[in-house]
Amino acid sequence: MPAIEVKNISKSFGSNRAVDRVSFDVQPGEILALLGPNGAGKTTIIRMVLDIFQPDSGQISVLEGPMSEEKKNQIGYLPEERGLYQEITLERCLTFLASLKGMQPAVIKNRLNEYFQKFELSAYHNKKVKELSKGMQQKAQLITTLIHDPKIIIVDEPFSSLDPVNTQMVKDLLIEKRNNGVAIILCTHQMHHAEELCDRLILINKGKAMLYGRLEDIRRQFAKPEVLVKTSSPLPEKIRGITEIVAVNGYTRLKLSNRFTPQDALKELIKLNITLEEYEIAMPKLDEIFIQVVQGKQG
Amino acid sequence: MHKFWLVLRHAYLRQVQTKRFLFGLLSMPLFVLLIIGMGILAARLRLKSDPIGYVDHSSFLTDPVSLPDQGSFFNPNLLIIPYSDETSANADLQVNKIQALYVIGMDYLQTGAVERLALDRPGENADAQFIEFLRLNLLKNQPEEIAHRVLNGSSITTRSMDGSRSVSEESILSLILPFSAGLMFILVISFSGSYLLQAVVEEKENRTMEILITSVSPDQLMAGKTIANLLAGLTQLGAWLGLGLLALTAMQLIFHLESEETFNFGQISLLLLILIPAFVMVAAMMTAVGATITEAREAQQISGFFILPMIAPYWFMNSIMSNPNSTITILLSIFPITSPVTLPIRIFFTIVPAWQIILSIGVLVASAIGALWLAGKIFRTGMLRYGKSLSLSEIFFGNFKEGGD
Repeated sequence: MPAIEVKNISKSFGSNRAVDRVSFDVQPGEILALLGPNGAGKTTIIRMVLDIFQPDSGQISVLEGPMSEEKKNQIGYLPEERGLYQEITLERCLTFLASLKGMQPAVIKNRLNEYFQKFELSAYHNKKVKELSKGMQQKAQLITTLIHDPKIIIVDEPFSSLDPVNTQMVKDLLIEKRNNGVAIILCTHQMHHAEELCDRLILINKGKAMLYGRLEDIRRQFAKPEVLVKTSSPLPEKIRGITEIVAVNGYTRLKLSNRFTPQDALKELIKLNITLEEYEIAMPKLDEIFIQVVQGKQG
Repeated sequence: MHKFWLVLRHAYLRQVQTKRFLFGLLSMPLFVLLIIGMGILAARLRLKSDPIGYVDHSSFLTDPVSLPDQGSFFNPNLLIIPYSDETSANADLQVNKIQALYVIGMDYLQTGAVERLALDRPGENADAQFIEFLRLNLLKNQPEEIAHRVLNGSSITTRSMDGSRSVSEESILSLILPFSAGLMFILVISFSGSYLLQAVVEEKENRTMEILITSVSPDQLMAGKTIANLLAGLTQLGAWLGLGLLALTAMQLIFHLESEETFNFGQISLLLLILIPAFVMVAAMMTAVGATITEAREAQQISGFFILPMIAPYWFMNSIMSNPNSTITILLSIFPITSPVTLPIRIFFTIVPAWQIILSIGVLVASAIGALWLAGKIFRTGMLRYGKSLSLSEIFFGNFKEGGD
């Protein structure tokens, strides 16, 4: 059973149709990337999943049924607009937010200590939130998302303000949670993170689902007839079946002519006695697909 | 329900543990103390304790009775020195041995004329004590109780036609209570309302709201915050009242003031019946307003706007006091925004029919429930609106279903 099942939901604000017949699901132990340009309707979709807004039409099922107050304790949410009480200490702020997730004080204390150590915030637990750096506040916000061991995690731009070390730590945490059966929705503009983490993705533009499926399938769908090679010997200027040869970051991109497959190109290179170090089909990057879809150049 | 208490506790402690709250708590009593202190100092500086003298040409003070020793900090007993002639009295006046010289004319008993001579302006108590001294001596041959009554005057008590209530003109507390109840109401509403507005807007500004409503229902959140901030306002008022009573007791002990005032608990219960739903109503309205706006600065301006109609009855105070049963006064005591101030004053000045009191409280309770309902709707719609205030059409026609029932 999916942890989240969204069926054909629509939502309008006045005359503006923010979400238009969107459907998707998220399985336990899966990371779904929710992608889209600014104003595409991602936050509205998340708010409908969280029962902050009601859809005008369509159905949403969370943990096998409609959202309830009890189910809110099973959800960890990191909104794009970060929010912590600035005037109180970090520990007091996180303790209060954790208590609203139904946790007992003793458990909160233990978990907070664990997370403070993990996020290297132990020395700051008694500092006011406003005295912490943006990155530290981001880590604190992540603690509120994860501390109650939720079954569903919804994170919106979780890597903003984090340095590479902490970014990797959060990625590892999300992967660990996924491996433990947690259903995760990852909202981000940083396509390389989505590419690295997600199992499936849904791309929203102007309220509509433009792409939905497994990452590999979508990349294949958008793949061009090109291969990337790294050679230890120089390539000739002209190769049969190759229409264009372009050097890109230490690799060479070979554009294939019509009906010339990557296998044909490989055979041709071997025939020319070229020493290959790497050979791969040039799959489009997610940000290329994103731009292509958003700018309406699909297919 | 558990989360409601968590929200209430957090919101209350967050409010009362701020420097702003403590400053507000202490600044007003300190300010009042300062004003009182300055007043006392100014009053005391106008008094002098140097002796006064008199020359009696009318000879009615041949065997004078001295004023009883009832001096206090504000009215120190002055030594009153008799002189046989003006020359010796003037000599003492010149060397400041006496602060003023009173010359009683030969025809004093017919005219009451007394001349005062002084180098500087004498203390304000000099004339008063000399007149008291003259009065005492004019009455010295009268029976003691007659003299006492003439000196202490009469006391008029106003009694209602049905005999249910009576008010002495000397009973200051019974006059203060209805006026101060209204003022206290306005004060608590000002504090609680501004705390509430600030808290709601701050949570929108710092984006905590979105985290909160994914953990707790909007209704629990709103109710918890409203009551917490109301309690914060009451805490402030309670602390002030406590300090005021402490100061009053201290003043009674220091200045030996006598008081026979007692609180009328029936009147206080009625005040509570009026004020509690009024508090809830205004707090709910403030919450609703907080949810529709986006900046703390805007909140402060709006909280001031809320207070205006509540203090309106004070503008019509003369009319309310002189004609407490006029149509406009009755309407003001039933209209929920003005009734918390008007009704207690009317109850003091007239016999308000029971139906009007019941109607007034009923309207207040209904308004409180209505305000809570409306606030819940607006809160759900406006709580996540960042950077853009809700329009009236959105509030009343547009997006109530956004909040998700």
